[in-house]
Amino acid sequence: MYESTTATLEARAATENQSVKLSMQQALNRALDEILSNDPKTVVFGEDCGRLGGVFRITDGLQAKHGEPRVFDTPLAESGILGMSVGLAMAGFHPIPEVQFDGFAYPAINQIVCQIARMNYRSRGTLPMPITLRVPSFGGIRAPEHHGESLEALFAHVPGLKVVSPSDPHDAYHLLKHAASRPDPVIFMEPKSRYWQKGDVDAADGGTLTGARVVRPGRHLTLVAWGAMVARCLQVAELAAEDGIDVEVLDLRWLKPIDAEALATSVGKTRRAVVVHEAPLTSGLGAEVAQLITQSCFDTLKAPVDRVTGFDVPYPSGDLEDEYIPNIDRILLGIQRVLEYRRG
Amino acid sequence: MAEISFPLPDLGEGLIEATVLDWLVSPGDQVERNQPLVELETSKSALELPSPQAGKVIRIHGAPGETINVGEPLVVFEVPDNTAGIVGTVPKDDAPKRRVRLSAVLDED
Repeated sequence: MYESTTATLEARAATENQSVKLSMQQALNRALDEILSNDPKTVVFGEDCGRLGGVFRITDGLQAKHGEPRVFDTPLAESGILGMSVGLAMAGFHPIPEVQFDGFAYPAINQIVCQIARMNYRSRGTLPMPITLRVPSFGGIRAPEHHGESLEALFAHVPGLKVVSPSDPHDAYHLLKHAASRPDPVIFMEPKSRYWQKGDVDAADGGTLTGARVVRPGRHLTLVAWGAMVARCLQVAELAAEDGIDVEVLDLRWLKPIDAEALATSVGKTRRAVVVHEAPLTSGLGAEVAQLITQSCFDTLKAPVDRVTGFDVPYPSGDLEDEYIPNIDRILLGIQRVLEYRRG
Repeated sequence: MAEISFPLPDLGEGLIEATVLDWLVSPGDQVERNQPLVELETSKSALELPSPQAGKVIRIHGAPGETINVGEPLVVFEVPDNTAGIVGTVPKDDAPKRRVRLSAVLDED
């Protein structure tokens, strides 16, 4: 893991040291506002990001405050949004582009994978790509096709990209500021179904911004999750407690690089793990997490690491997403499978 | 509260304008999604335009007989901040429901 001192120190110095209740939308909006205020090289753009303030209002009011040259609308062409980001980064800017929805990133895969991820490598370090690509991600809002997808495994597979997903307003605020302060391209996956839930944001103290975070300590089993699934796993942990099972919930946060040490520490203690993600099962990030756990905890694991995920089908629209996204019962069944397992 | 402008949408068949025949809602009205907003006439046909969303109508553009171009403002809605411009719906944090119970013998070896 790399150092996080810049954003932490900056956040600590920035504002009053008491926490405020904000939604993730408000927290992200505030973070962008502060990034724009503190760094004249930052530009924010995307479809409807300017005048409208974004379809999720994440960029609300930013164009009026910081001006159209720095916060602007783009044509409906993701390849153009990300291609322009490459050029802006080469010219010394710090772009924070948005693709409006996860599924709209596909038309820009060439720019992301072939340019943004490897320009620094290709140029022997002379052309870094300090780009933070905001991607409203995952499902849960009854939206149509291409509006509920989980692309973390695709992005995490690409050398040169970092991938992060906050699960609550506090982390959203600090991780966005942290990501924007990095010299490397970061894919910032915002759990769109969590935009409107409020939580305490302590602007002065972001805590550790690298690696995973234990959001609920427990003794018997570790649920590993990220993005919107963290909140669901916390609900499951409460229900499991009714049955006498003490579940730890680990918010992975960084999906590239994955905090293998945190996995080892948590599962080393609980000796059982279930990974939960919305993305399809096959070649999902759950497989990577399971391998990292197995590598470090093989001798002490009480059961194979289990996975509760979406299915290997295109993301379903509308009400069907309730059957697709891991629900409470499916996660509880995953926990039960692991608890029941006996060697030999 | 936030304002959302609903411009005259592309009505298909290459049409670029429509004439307002009659408004079916007035400023101040609370409308539901798919509720008819206005009767329009194009060079092809007369049609009722359904509301793309729920919200309170706060402004309407175009008196009966006036022509509006595709893309020009037609209706402005007022909606709560957390639904403004969103695609899909805002999920509620319902009390969790379960059917599965856990049972386990935890040998603490």
